[in-house]
Amino acid sequence: MQRPDWAPDGIDIERPSVARMYDYYLGGSHNFAVDRAAAQAMVAAVPEAPLMAQANRAFLRRAVQFLTDAGVRQFLDIGSGIPTVGNVHEIAQRNAPDARVVYVDVDPVAVAHSREILDGNDRAAVVQEDLRHPERILTHPDVRRLLDFDRPVAVMVVAVLHFVSDDDRPAELLRTLRAALAPGSYLVLSQASADGRSDEERAEAERIYRSTDNPLWIRSRGELAALFDGFELVEPGVVWVPQWRPESADGAEDAERSAFIGGVGRLGG
Amino acid sequence: MGEPPGATAVPVAGPPAATAAPGATGGRAHRPSAFARAWAKAVSGTSYLPMTQAQLEALLQRLTDQLAAALAAEPLDLRVGHRVGTELVAAHIASAEGLGRTVEVVQLRLVRDLGLVADDVEDRLARLLAAVATGYARALRDRTLDEQESIRRAAMTARAQAERALRASEARFRHQATHDPLTGLPNRTLFTERLTAAINSPGRGAERVGVCFLDLDRFKVVNDSHGHRTGDALLVIVADRLRRALDGYLVARLGGDEFVILVEHTGGTDDMVAVAEAALAAVREPAVVDGHELTVSASVGIVERQVAGASPGDLMRAADSTLHWAKAAGGVRWALYDADRDRQELARHALSAAIPAALERGEFYLDYQPLASLHDGRVVGVEALVRWRHPELGVLRPDSFIGLAEETGLIVPLGGWVLAEACRQAESWSTAGGAAPYVSVNLAVRQVDRPGLVQEVHGLLRHTGLPPERLQLEITESTMMSTAAEPVRALRVLADLGVRIAIDDFGTGYCNLAYLRDLPVTELKVAGEFVAGLRAPETRADERILASLVSLAHALDLTVTAEGVETAGQAERLRAIGCDAGQGWHFGRPEPAERILERIR
Repeated sequence: MQRPDWAPDGIDIERPSVARMYDYYLGGSHNFAVDRAAAQAMVAAVPEAPLMAQANRAFLRRAVQFLTDAGVRQFLDIGSGIPTVGNVHEIAQRNAPDARVVYVDVDPVAVAHSREILDGNDRAAVVQEDLRHPERILTHPDVRRLLDFDRPVAVMVVAVLHFVSDDDRPAELLRTLRAALAPGSYLVLSQASADGRSDEERAEAERIYRSTDNPLWIRSRGELAALFDGFELVEPGVVWVPQWRPESADGAEDAERSAFIGGVGRLGG
Repeated sequence: MGEPPGATAVPVAGPPAATAAPGATGGRAHRPSAFARAWAKAVSGTSYLPMTQAQLEALLQRLTDQLAAALAAEPLDLRVGHRVGTELVAAHIASAEGLGRTVEVVQLRLVRDLGLVADDVEDRLARLLAAVATGYARALRDRTLDEQESIRRAAMTARAQAERALRASEARFRHQATHDPLTGLPNRTLFTERLTAAINSPGRGAERVGVCFLDLDRFKVVNDSHGHRTGDALLVIVADRLRRALDGYLVARLGGDEFVILVEHTGGTDDMVAVAEAALAAVREPAVVDGHELTVSASVGIVERQVAGASPGDLMRAADSTLHWAKAAGGVRWALYDADRDRQELARHALSAAIPAALERGEFYLDYQPLASLHDGRVVGVEALVRWRHPELGVLRPDSFIGLAEETGLIVPLGGWVLAEACRQAESWSTAGGAAPYVSVNLAVRQVDRPGLVQEVHGLLRHTGLPPERLQLEITESTMMSTAAEPVRALRVLADLGVRIAIDDFGTGYCNLAYLRDLPVTELKVAGEFVAGLRAPETRADERILASLVSLAHALDLTVTAEGVETAGQAERLRAIGCDAGQGWHFGRPEPAERILERIR
């Protein structure tokens, strides 16, 4: 007999996880040998990989800072990964203790870890779901419990879209999310870009990520800007992430080495 | 972006001990020194630091102040170094490079930049830096171990959850695979498993086991008249009642309106009858479905036997057969398995299954029985009677296989063969010269109802060259009763062709005379039981009935043939009544056509 499609998947920690690789780039130890091996291979191919991850994380921090300053008190972080240093809820709740955060990740280990970290925080939760099923995210009871979609929500899709292929119709996924948002909501996107990279580097990076459950899907700045459809990009638009509202002039030096592009859009009306 | 320049309170900064650190500058707001800025620059990028550059500089300024104070204090408090190292790690400046660059920048610049002067400052700095490195390494090791432990715990939790989910889904999957979705009762799969277990469990050989097959009577009528939704709702109610009435026994739904009950450790058939009666009573209660009060009944087939030597397949089949006996007896009852009856039915079944192959091998042949004129004794016709030369059972008469063939539909090919063979043989009789007898062939209901009968007969007549008036088709009264408009038209076409149509066994069926008005009948064959009555002189009733039938037939321009004429006396009485022809042992037993033809010549 055929197993029905609702049968759950098992957990395979023998495969590298992009969430734990990212943690390794950030200097964390929430990873296993298999993740470190893949991350080290990535560093051998693209030596700036850790810097890229750090630059992206710094972008996330500045974006959340910007959003709390703008009065946003609700955050939906999709593809949140291993909740290590500088999480959205840490930044947001430090700035605004009433801020509510829901993390969403597809990696069951990342979700279990997030749950442990968020234990006792009644204004933050984690949901195991996939960006590819935005309607399931939007209707999830924990999402509904913590977030009020009649008020502005910041949807964060940071360092995730490069794991979503065009076949998964990212524009449609984001449109579904947008349709649920109240005016004054925000969308934060960042993803890997190969602009200015050699073909070999790009090919090697793609090869390494093929060993994970999440192959890489690299996009240009124009392609990412198009995904903000329906949102007004706030200054300075879609840029290399270090160039997005840097805190100091030298923070934005050699910005293209970050290999990450990102931006923040606001839903008008 | 809203970062206050030179913030002093660094929320991410580590343990409370740090704020209580000795040092005159603790807690005082001031701009970071050139040294603190250099330190911040050195550690930037060694790992991800979840703070702004200004926050980092403010943190490192505070640590700088603590280090400077420690260098100046007497005695040298190495715990300050440990705390600084710990605090660096707590602030996520937590990598090998972070330590290396810290040692480098402190060693190269701290004393110089802050203008610290003491005789033994080099010595004190070395010891303090060692303490920083020790505190740092210790904290980093603890942090690494904590993080490893936490990710492993998360992996275990996730795995345990996944396994739980898998088990739950497997249980659900198993439940779905073994239960009927409509009623929630166990399905055939689970029933068969349990029956098999009941039979095959070691040491149970001496025990007895029973199975009741239950089927609702005329459930199709409920579906047809109220719709399938109501039918399904009724099944749910019946299932529920059976479950409650037979608590302790396994009640399963096999599909449709068929249910089955497993009774283990029975003490004999009485136990099973009690179960069957409880089931019948449960079903009998009227059920209200969608505002309709539905009363249904059921039939039950009961099998009960010793576990030793039983097989689940046999038990199920036997129960199913027994259920059909209960149905055939009119339903609303239970029937007990009867091995002899089952054997006979099986044999009959095997016999009917062998008909197609027997047809192919040519095991059937025809005998003929004469129909003689009562006026002059001339053989006017012969009735074709099929025989089966069975390779094992010998020659079989039609009553041992025609009924079966009619039930299974095999009568169509068999009857077709008989008709064709009779036409073929009868045609050759005409070449023998004289007025050749017609051949009378029995047609079953299914043959009459089948479209294409006209073409079949027409084709045969053309093919064999037999004149239509030398073929007589015998149909029974009940055939006519169940016959719809289309077959009547077919018979009329055949009659118009010249084919004779006879009603067989007249007087034993429904005796609805209306069809005599509508049908193109040429002859009535009166059943032998009336003729048998002619033996006894005191029973005049049969004679009167016969006389009336004859006069009725003649009034309708029909001829009458009496069946079962066994004696000359009967023949004489029939002739006196005015009956046209007779058939029976008195005129000749069934035999090959040649013998009859020889006698005629």
